[in-house]
Amino acid sequence: MSLTMRIPDQDSFTSRLRSPAVAARIGLWLGICFGIAFVTGLISHYAQASSQPVPIPTRPVWGYRLSQGLHVVAGTAAVPLLLVKMWVVYPRLFVRPPRRLAPLVLTVLERGSIATLVGAALFELSTGLANAAQWYPWSFSFRGAHHAMAWVAIGSLLVHIGVKLPVIREALAHDVDDTALDAPGATEEGPVTRRGLLRSTWLAAGVAAVAAAGGTFPVVDRIAVLAARRSGGPGGIPINRTARAAGVLTSATDPAWTCSIQFGARTLQLGYDDLRGLEQHTTELPIACVEGWSASGTWTGVRIRDLLALVEAPADAEVAVHSLQQRGGGRLSVLPAHFATDDRTLLALELNGERLSLDHGFPVRLIAPNRPGVLQTKWVARLEVLA
Amino acid sequence: MRALLVVAGGAVLGYGMWLLADFSELGQVGSVAVWSGVAIVLHDAVLAPAVLALGWLARVLLRTPDGGVRRRLHTAAVVVVVVLGPVTLLAIPVLGRFAADPDKSTLLNRDYSTGWLLLAGAVVVSALLLALTGLVSEASGRGPGRSARVPRPGR
Repeated sequence: MSLTMRIPDQDSFTSRLRSPAVAARIGLWLGICFGIAFVTGLISHYAQASSQPVPIPTRPVWGYRLSQGLHVVAGTAAVPLLLVKMWVVYPRLFVRPPRRLAPLVLTVLERGSIATLVGAALFELSTGLANAAQWYPWSFSFRGAHHAMAWVAIGSLLVHIGVKLPVIREALAHDVDDTALDAPGATEEGPVTRRGLLRSTWLAAGVAAVAAAGGTFPVVDRIAVLAARRSGGPGGIPINRTARAAGVLTSATDPAWTCSIQFGARTLQLGYDDLRGLEQHTTELPIACVEGWSASGTWTGVRIRDLLALVEAPADAEVAVHSLQQRGGGRLSVLPAHFATDDRTLLALELNGERLSLDHGFPVRLIAPNRPGVLQTKWVARLEVLA
Repeated sequence: MRALLVVAGGAVLGYGMWLLADFSELGQVGSVAVWSGVAIVLHDAVLAPAVLALGWLARVLLRTPDGGVRRRLHTAAVVVVVVLGPVTLLAIPVLGRFAADPDKSTLLNRDYSTGWLLLAGAVVVSALLLALTGLVSEASGRGPGRSARVPRPGR
């Protein structure tokens, strides 16, 4: 690159690494990562929606865990891919726009779509990473904005692929060292070859995925030195909201606590010992958080189905699960009928053979298969059959 | 095919914009736009020039008496920047511990500074090993010895 002071143009960048042959190869994997993150993100968004016209299945029980794990791994791996891709194409920023009107309009449109793509991509990756560490240095709603901008990112990506398709096809059809598509000035050999840059980039994506997003996998967890959580916590499961933060310290430890089961005019109040006296079932189910971490636990408690039978609720009714929590997210979730009647959907009293800890939802919490963790309501106060 | 991609992409993009306008008040839409805009500026005007400056610095620091550049070290330096740079940037939320909360004992519950140092050490060693193989640079060394003359920038 020239060191004299003047406005750079594309030819100021002389490295032969900055080639469409390199950009197309990184772009391919970047597109795959964005595609995975988009699809799994939509699944998560839909799973958290208040109603699902197409019901989410209760099996496999690890479905949401896998989907959200993939979401975070793909998004994290995309960071090095995006940064190297932008390094490769950076000289394009300095291409002089054409002077004639018609080509100028096309250029403005193309640059506009690139700006939207880069802006939305950086928005998605930066807010997603901050959310995984529960850091919210912004005023917008994370879920709404992350969802909307995902559509903006994927839309601009499709436009970008459409615009660049001939270049992408030609680049991928030839060897990475082919120079046919290069800018005329990009001829300088660098300290690494094009293959070397690509290999370093794949290494970066792998290191990012393991170090920052690997915390959710039992063995990888040990070397996930940059993951926001490590497995563990009481009962081997991390805690997102403590009883103190939820403001339920008093109400959850009140000896007079009861769980009410409501169906129409019928209400049943069950105390802790009443629940203990009912038939207990044990099942292994994961808690899988929207932030990407997940952990499996062995839960023991009463089937929701059995509780609903006590008030003679119909099998096809949805059930609202209310928490003692008065404010904040997660204080209410609605179980679709097929979740409420599932064998493995429990009002859990124990985790891994021990009484549920206060921060895990004592006296009782909901645990159901294949659901986002935020919907596994803790400190349950009331089951309300929505007939 | 191209037209289809552009039209479909435009529709998807438009749906995203509509969602954005629909989900919140105008103030929130504004802060989403500002966040994206600032991210672009941070990349184009801060990060990208900083990487260019790093490249220049590497050439100065690794210059040999005969005007060449210590090639293997230069190669290793590039690998270190490519791997450790993005990984460090994406770890800002945990390295900064911005959301640390004594009430949340299972959040940010690692020693991230030590973890980063260990990772950085592993990356440097791997980069040096990679630079000794032909996997990321020309296998047959260029010119005699460990250094090679790099053409001076053209202008």
